[in-house]
Parts: sequence; structure tokens; C-alpha cells
Amino acid sequence: MLNIGMSIPRLDARKKVSGLEKYAADFYGLDFVWAGVKRAGIPHARIRGIEIESAKKIPGVINVLTCRDVKGSNRQGVVRKDEPVLADDRVRHCGDAVALVIAEDKMALSRALEQIIPDYDPIPGVFDPEEALKTEAPLVHEDNPEKNLLMKGFLSTGCAENAFNECDAVVEACFEVPFQEHAYLETEAGWALLNKDDRLEIVVSTQTPFRDRAEVSEAIGIEEEKIRIIAPYCGGAFGGKDGVTVQSLLALAALCCPERPVKMWWGREESFISSAKRHMARLYYRLGAKSDGKFHALEARIYYDTGPYDHLGGVVMALGLEHAGGAYRIPNTDLKAWSVYTNNPVGGPFRGFGVVQVTAAMEQMVDMLAVELAIDPVELRLRNALGKGDKNPIGVTMSGSTGIEECLATLKGNPLWEDREKWKSKAGSFKRRGAGMTSVMQGMGYGPVVPDVANAKIELTEGGKFRVFCGVVDMGQGNATTYAQIACEVLGQDIRDMELVLPDTSKTLPSGSASASRTTYTFGNALIGAAEILKERILKCANRVFMNGEGSDIALIPGGVRNIPSGQEISLSEIAGLLGNSERLAVSRFQAPVSTETPAEDPILRVYGVPHVIFSFGAHAAFIEVDELTGRIEVVKYITVTDCGRIINPQLFEQQMQGGVAQGIGYALMEDFVTERGFVNTPDLATYIIPTAMDMPDMDSITVDAYEPTGPFGLKGAGEVACNGPLPAIANALADACGIRVLRSPLTPERVLAEMNKEK
Amino acid sequence: MRKVFIPETQAELFDIIACNPKSRMFAGGTDLLVKLRSGQFDSDDLVSLERIDELKGVEDYGDEVFIGACTTHSALIADPVIQMHFPVLVKALRVLGSPQIRNMGTIGGNIVTASPAGDTLPPLYLLEADLELKTKDSSRLVGIKDFIKGPGRNDLAPGEILARVRLRKCPAYNLQHYEKVGQRNSLAISIVSLAAVLNVSDKGIITEVRFSWGSAGPTVITCKEAEAVLAGRPVSNESLEKAARLARKAVKPIADVRASAEYRRQVSGNLILRIQGLLNGSGDSIQFAD
Ligand SMILES: Cc1cc2nc3c(=O)[nH]c(=O)nc-3n(C[C@H](O)[C@H](O)[C@H](O)COP(=O)(O)OP(=O)(O)OC[C@H]3O[C@@H](n4cnc5c(N)ncnc54)[C@H](O)[C@@H]3O)c2cc1C
Repeated sequence: MLNIGMSIPRLDARKKVSGLEKYAADFYGLDFVWAGVKRAGIPHARIRGIEIESAKKIPGVINVLTCRDVKGSNRQGVVRKDEPVLADDRVRHCGDAVALVIAEDKMALSRALEQIIPDYDPIPGVFDPEEALKTEAPLVHEDNPEKNLLMKGFLSTGCAENAFNECDAVVEACFEVPFQEHAYLETEAGWALLNKDDRLEIVVSTQTPFRDRAEVSEAIGIEEEKIRIIAPYCGGAFGGKDGVTVQSLLALAALCCPERPVKMWWGREESFISSAKRHMARLYYRLGAKSDGKFHALEARIYYDTGPYDHLGGVVMALGLEHAGGAYRIPNTDLKAWSVYTNNPVGGPFRGFGVVQVTAAMEQMVDMLAVELAIDPVELRLRNALGKGDKNPIGVTMSGSTGIEECLATLKGNPLWEDREKWKSKAGSFKRRGAGMTSVMQGMGYGPVVPDVANAKIELTEGGKFRVFCGVVDMGQGNATTYAQIACEVLGQDIRDMELVLPDTSKTLPSGSASASRTTYTFGNALIGAAEILKERILKCANRVFMNGEGSDIALIPGGVRNIPSGQEISLSEIAGLLGNSERLAVSRFQAPVSTETPAEDPILRVYGVPHVIFSFGAHAAFIEVDELTGRIEVVKYITVTDCGRIINPQLFEQQMQGGVAQGIGYALMEDFVTERGFVNTPDLATYIIPTAMDMPDMDSITVDAYEPTGPFGLKGAGEVACNGPLPAIANALADACGIRVLRSPLTPERVLAEMNKEK
Repeated sequence: MRKVFIPETQAELFDIIACNPKSRMFAGGTDLLVKLRSGQFDSDDLVSLERIDELKGVEDYGDEVFIGACTTHSALIADPVIQMHFPVLVKALRVLGSPQIRNMGTIGGNIVTASPAGDTLPPLYLLEADLELKTKDSSRLVGIKDFIKGPGRNDLAPGEILARVRLRKCPAYNLQHYEKVGQRNSLAISIVSLAAVLNVSDKGIITEVRFSWGSAGPTVITCKEAEAVLAGRPVSNESLEKAARLARKAVKPIADVRASAEYRRQVSGNLILRIQGLLNGSGDSIQFAD
């Protein structure tokens, strides 16, 4: 039976393509009602009062709720619980929820939302993370002892200050990267029902069903045991559904109309104004090397704009800080980062989780240094690449598989890369061609303190098939299929005999979030454990039937067990009948390994996830053509060389690479969530531009021969690492083509042309 | 509840309009439904033009070609007469929206919408299109320049429809060119666009040249001065540069979330510089194999 390493098509493909798969947004139900949210529409104000009585009188309106109707803490958030479900005394960004309407139909709902008029007393806001740290800045949270600072982190090794004096070349620059919108196909959606027995059922598009249950319980004031969260496949999430979106609001609504289903589904514009974005960041970098190209000193000052709420902004900052120096040996580093409150949109988790920003800065610095030292950019990276056992830029020992050098070497030998000068020389009139590259890396899992745990459950059904209880959400990556594939491998079965149960707090076991590139690594390991237990039971039972002694030569085959010496077979359904109900079920727990090193004096960084032990790596190359007349960049070809350990399903892996690169190209060239003093200038998909298929280059996804001993069948996470590459690779290609650097991304035609004008 | 009428003949259509003067017409709906969704007008009744065959298709009358207003962009791109005689229009249609939008959207809708970014408008200005406007019992012909009054404003009278677009077959230009600068390669609203037709003699002299720009002013911009510095002269970088400078003076761009006015102004001129390469046949293909 060949499973691992096979491109088994997604089990959900047919149902999704034919429209049969039911997403959270597809739930309605008999006699259902709509719930909707009144948004602040103003970035910073005190609320004097909210007039809801006239909205309540509109025919078809069931109720209008404000913070006064919230019985629980009215606070949500994973680390610092600073975000109200419904605003109490003030609003802190345009997307804040101020009131909740429950209505019989959408018409009544929208009329009521228009009718609600909050009485605001506007207060000055703060819209830039560095401004926000100044003493005179308006405060976003008056009760925060550290004013507008959410969290800071300092890490260092050696003595950077002195080391810069010992360098032969030093480069320095300040980069700015924008807010990025997730723009998933399925906007935030959910469905809730308060049952007769007072149990609350919520079906929701989420990455975190178990954590949501705890959050809703506390915020709304319902016992956790009474809440059930069901998480179908998401229509995209990318981190934007890592945490509560509609859940608490739906719970509130359901409480006021028992036994009637409540539906909430944000429109695109509502999603844009209220959902979390990739953090805007400003990054001051200085990198120095010796004349032989050895990196010697690095200094970084990084400001992440977390908007008005934590929403994992501290953890995002910490992961960025950990990756600030990239996959290199740098003996002297001085790295500082701040996550800062503003009245801008909420910053939050987004594929790459803070690493995208720092990679953009660091990898451009490396290329600038390569120019300064006249060393080939791949060569320069190879001279500094981390190997297993090396200390990384925060002084932590690399103890997991570390394939960056193989990735770089593979790219170096790639024929397209080798022949790039020839390709470049063939540019047409008013065109310039460039080739740029970058290293990428992405840490996996929650870090040393928060237990990164999964609990897998697998059942041999009475019919002799296997049922895998997926603990972690499949938000579109295809991990549910990989789970089935893993179980097939252990149990020697055919993928067709696998049944999946998607995450559901009353059916599957808590296994953490679909995030942090941990989804398949952690749950996959747990699932191998559970499948092994079940396998052993099945074989034991078969041995009894065959009247064999222990350790006899028998094997699982698709649908049954075969006694090899005699050729005798027994079907799995017969075995299922012989096993007790509880014996047909196996569970297993896995906890990811953690580092014991403490890189910072400040122990809090460990709680925030620093340091990681397992990283995925890659080397990317972008081949671009720049139009001198318009400044437009066309990405013609893109190559990823990746170390994600062993690849379980090459097709799914390639989709992760391509998806990550596509999102990264959007971020590099066009995606820019523009705000002006907290007001959104790109409120919809007509103004916020994401790439289309026509903007995508041909992509090659190459892997290096790698194996991570702690991973399931040698795997490491592949979900995030690719999206870190495109911005620096393209920016480096632009520098290669035109000798310019656009320090503020995205690299729009207008910015590129302005920079080219300066050169003239 | 909003009513939607679906007439199948012009006669039926005019009756419906007469009885429902506040109703709104739509052909593909790709502009109208967007406005409806964003609440730009109240829930008036709608009249669909989609099933009226008289308003669709291309008729070739020798010197003149008539295009039914409700002909979709995809149908025009595929039409042999349009391909043969009006490549500049086909080039603009190819970069309008996306396949879905081109399958639904119509040339009539694009004209009546009168957006400064409407992609058919710069070619239609160059081709001096005339529009046939009809009511129940009248018909008039208006030049496109006179029809478009400003951003979103046109010369349609109440109860009037755009029935057909008349184009005269033009001399065989050696170059018909449309370039749109957008924020991406498909589904892009024009930041600035240039339509150009040129005739260059065997000796390399420009005998005829016309330019028009989209998204560079409240309506399509033309620039006689830029054409004049080129006409009667050989193609050269210097004269194209000169024309580009004049073009930059002629345009009246605005700034918005897509681009600054200054960028639009500079690129309006820059796009002219592309012409020499196009005449030399230097490739627009950038396949990696090149
Ligand atoms: C996603 C998207 C992308 C787009 N991209 C582009 C683009 O790249 N370039 C571009 O130029 N446009 C673009 N558009 C706009 C639109 O698709 C075009 O303008 C299209 O040609 C409109 O045609 P329609 O038939 O759909 O117009 P409709 O929406 O049906 O009508 C538009 C207006 O014209 C009136 N009307 C239509 N036909 C007639 C008639 N025969 N007589 C009188 N009045 C009439 C209607 O009453 C309405 O006011 C885009 C639209 C969308 C939604």
C-alpha cells in the first residue's frame, strides 16, 4: 500500500467543486432569524449613549442589544482580553461593534441598523505605531499601565554596538509594509441555536473551535459545558479566523430567541472594516559584514501596528522578533520590537504571523550587502546559512532539521537561475528584467510554554471502515485529507475506506488551532499514535481468530487482515463485531517538543512563544520584467525550493507553495489596506486589489530531500513558509533590474516609476 | 417588491417604459447591479434588455457597420467584421473586466455608463462612432463626443434608448493599439489608457495618427497638438517625446485611491513612447523561454 508521498486528491474536492460541501455560511434552518452588527464608523470616540428604541419598534425586529445585555465579561482576546464583544464606553476603531440586532428578515435587519444612532463624543486618535509611543499620544486604552504599548521584546547576542565598528561593510534602511486583508472567499459566518435543554450550538467558520468555546463562555457568561462549537471546512481563513469573529455575537443573539436558529454572515464591506489584518510594520535595519561576507552585526528596531486590540499582536510581534535575523549565523545582534496600540484596523494573525514583515526587511538588507561586497547573493547567503547545531541570530541552538543550505545550493544549481543573465539580456524596448532571490524560514508551533498538544481519535466502524476524528480544522489547506492518508499508511487501508469527522467540540478531541504551521505536524503525530493502538488491537483480535500465537506473521490489508502463512483472511467488519465498542475506538495524545533555552533575560518572551525548535526553510527566486514607461512589475517566473521535511502529499504541498506565493505576490505588488486617520479608503474588493490568475507567474515548487525525525513520517509544516518570500525576492529582482529600492511596499507601478525618475 | 420586466421586442420595451417611467433599464447589469447593491438608488422597477434580439449583433453595410447596443463584449471580440476593421476596439474589449464581465457586459452599457475609465470609449472616440438613440417614435444620431457629457453623464433623454452604434470603416491603419494601465492584469479599472491608430508609409513617414486617453480627465481626452507634431514626419524617439510632452499638458487627471494625478499625467505621455517599438514589431510576449 503506497500512501505517504502520493498525490492523493483531496477527499473534499468533489463535494466542494459541485457545491455540495456545506460551509458555515450555508446553514439556515426552519424559522431562522438574522443577526447583524452596528459598526462604529468612527475611529475613536466616547459613547454618550446609543438610541435603540426606535430600531426596536421596526416591524420584524426581534431585539436590539448593547453591552448592557452582556452577562459575561464582555471581553474577548486570546492573550490580553481587551476587545469588547459590544463596545461599552468607547469605540477604538471604525469596525468596533456597538449594537447587535436580531430580526426576522434581512430587510428589517438593515433598516434597524440604519436606525441605530450612537451619540459619539469624538476623541483624538493615534494612527502610527511610532507616534503612539510618544508621551503626548492619545491613549487607546486608558487603563493600560504601559500606555499605548501592548508588548515589547528585546533579544541580543554578542555586542552589536562594538561589532559594527569591526565590519567592512554596513548597510542600513527603513522599510514599511502595509496592512494586508485576508480576503477569504467565505466572509465571517455562523449559525447558532439555543436548544430546549439550554445548550448552545454554534456552527462557525473558525480555525479554533475549542478555544472559541472558552472565549464565548467567559465573554457571554454561559458555562463552557453548555456550548458546542462545530467547525465545518472554512472557505479560507489564513489566520483571519484564528480567534472569535461572529461567535460571541451569535451566542448573544441566540440567547434572546431560544429554539430559533440565528444566522450571521458579514458582507464583504463589513468583513473588511471589522476583521483583523496583517500588521502594518515599520522596520529599521542595519546589517554589517566582514569583507569575506561573514555577517558580523545586526541591529533591528521593529514597530508592529496592532490596532486597538491585542488579538495575538504580542505573539505575532514575538515570532517576528525571533525571525528578525533570518536563517543566518550572526554573532552580534541587537533586536528590538514593539507591538503598539493605535486606532487603525485590528492587526492580527495572518499566514506568516509577523515573519513576513521581518523577512521583507532582512532579506533586502542581505542583497544590499551583497552589492556592497560584490558577492553573489546566493553565495553570500550560503556563507552565512545556519546548519544544525549552529546558534541562530537570537543565540538559540538549531536542534531540528535545518535544510536552508540545501535549499540555497539547489537554487544555485537551478538552470533557470544559472542562466538568468541570458534571460535578462533579452528584454524588449522599455523593459528591464531582473532576477532576485531570498531565503525564508518559519518556526512551527506554540513555542516553549503554551503546550502544543493534539488528541487524535480513530474508530473502526461496525462496517469495517475507519473514522478519523479530526481535531484540527481544515480551512482549505487539505489537512483533513492528509490525516486520512496518515491513518491509511498506518492501517494499510485504502483512502476510500476512510471517513472524516470534522472538528466539533462534542465529537472530536481538543487539538489546538489550525495555525502556526502545526496543523499536520502535531495532529499527525497524535493520529499515528491512535492508529497504531487500533492496529495492535485489530491484529490481536485477528490472531485470536486465526488461533495464532503472539507475534505471528499477519498483516492488515485493505478491508481485512491476512494470516500470511495460511493465506486465511478475516474482514474488518467481522473484527469490528468481535471488538467491544470501546475497543473499536483508540485515542492518543501528542505534545510537540520544546526548546529548553532562554534567549532573553525577559522570561515573558517564552510565554509569547520564543524560542521555537522546528523550522521549515526555503530559497525562492523571482524573475521579473519591469516596464520603464509605467513602472509596472510583471512576475514572469517564480521558483520555490523548500525544506518542509518529507512530503506526505506532493499535490497538497504544491498547492500550499503556490497559494503562499500568490498571496505573497499580492502583498508585494498591490495589496494595500489604506486608511486615513483611521478611516478606511479601500472598503471593498473594487479598491482593495488582490491578484487574479492572470497576475500569477508560472511557478516551480521544488523540494530538497529532507526528513524531520520528530515529524509524522518526517514532515514539517508547509502552510506559511512560502508567503514570506515574494516581497523580498521581487524587491531584490527590482533592484537587480533597475538598481532601485522601493522601501515602502507594495511595489506599485507608481512607486516604482517615482523611484526610477529619481535615478534618471 | 421590485418588478423586473423582460421584453422581447423594441415595441414591447417602449410600452413598458411608457407605463413605468421611473423604471431602470439594464443590459448585462454589470454596472447597474453594482450600483443597486450599494444603494445608489431606490428600489425602482427594472427592465431587462437582454432578450431583445433587435438590439444585438453586428451588421455590415459596406462602408458602415452597425453594432446593436446590447451586443456583449465577448460577442464583439469574436465577430469577424469587428476583428477585421476595428482592431483597436477589439484590443480594448480584450482587457475589459474578465471573461465573466465580457460575457455579460455590453457595449451599450459601457457607453451609457459614461465612466471616464470605460474601456470602449477611447477607441470609439478615435473611430468617431455615432450613436443611434431611439424613442417609441423618434430616432436620432449623435456623435460619441456629444453624447458623453461628463463622468456618468450622457445625452439620453427620458424614455430614450441607445439602439445601435455606427462605425465607419476606416483606412487600413498599420497600427491599432490600446494599452490600459491598471492595478492588475484582469478585472482592473483603468488608471490611464491610451488608444492609438497610425498609418505609416513605406518610407516610414506617419501619414495619419490619432490618440485618445481614458481615465485622464472627466471624459476621453484627445490632443490634436500631439498628433500634429507626428503627422507628416518619420517616426522618431524625439518626435514621440515631443508628442508625449504635449499629451501630458492636455490631460486633466484626478487623484484617487488607485493613483495620483501626477502619475496619470506622466504615464499618459509615456504610453506614446511605446509606439516605436510596436511599429518595429518588438514583442510584447515575455514567456520565460524567450
Ligand atoms: C467586476 C467588474 C469589472 C469591470 N471591469 C470593467 C473594465 O475593465 N472596463 C470597463 O470599461 N468597464 C468595466 N466594468 C463595467 C461594466 O462591466 C461595463 O461598463 C459594461 O460594458 C456595462 O455593460 P452592461 O450591459 O452590463 O451595463 P448595464 O449595467 O446593464 O447598464 C449600465 C447603464 O447603462 C444603461 N443602459 C444599458 N444599455 C442601455 C441601452 N441600450 N440604452 C439605454 N441605456 C442603457 C443602464 O440603464 C445603466 O444605467 C466592470 C464591471 C464589473 C462589475
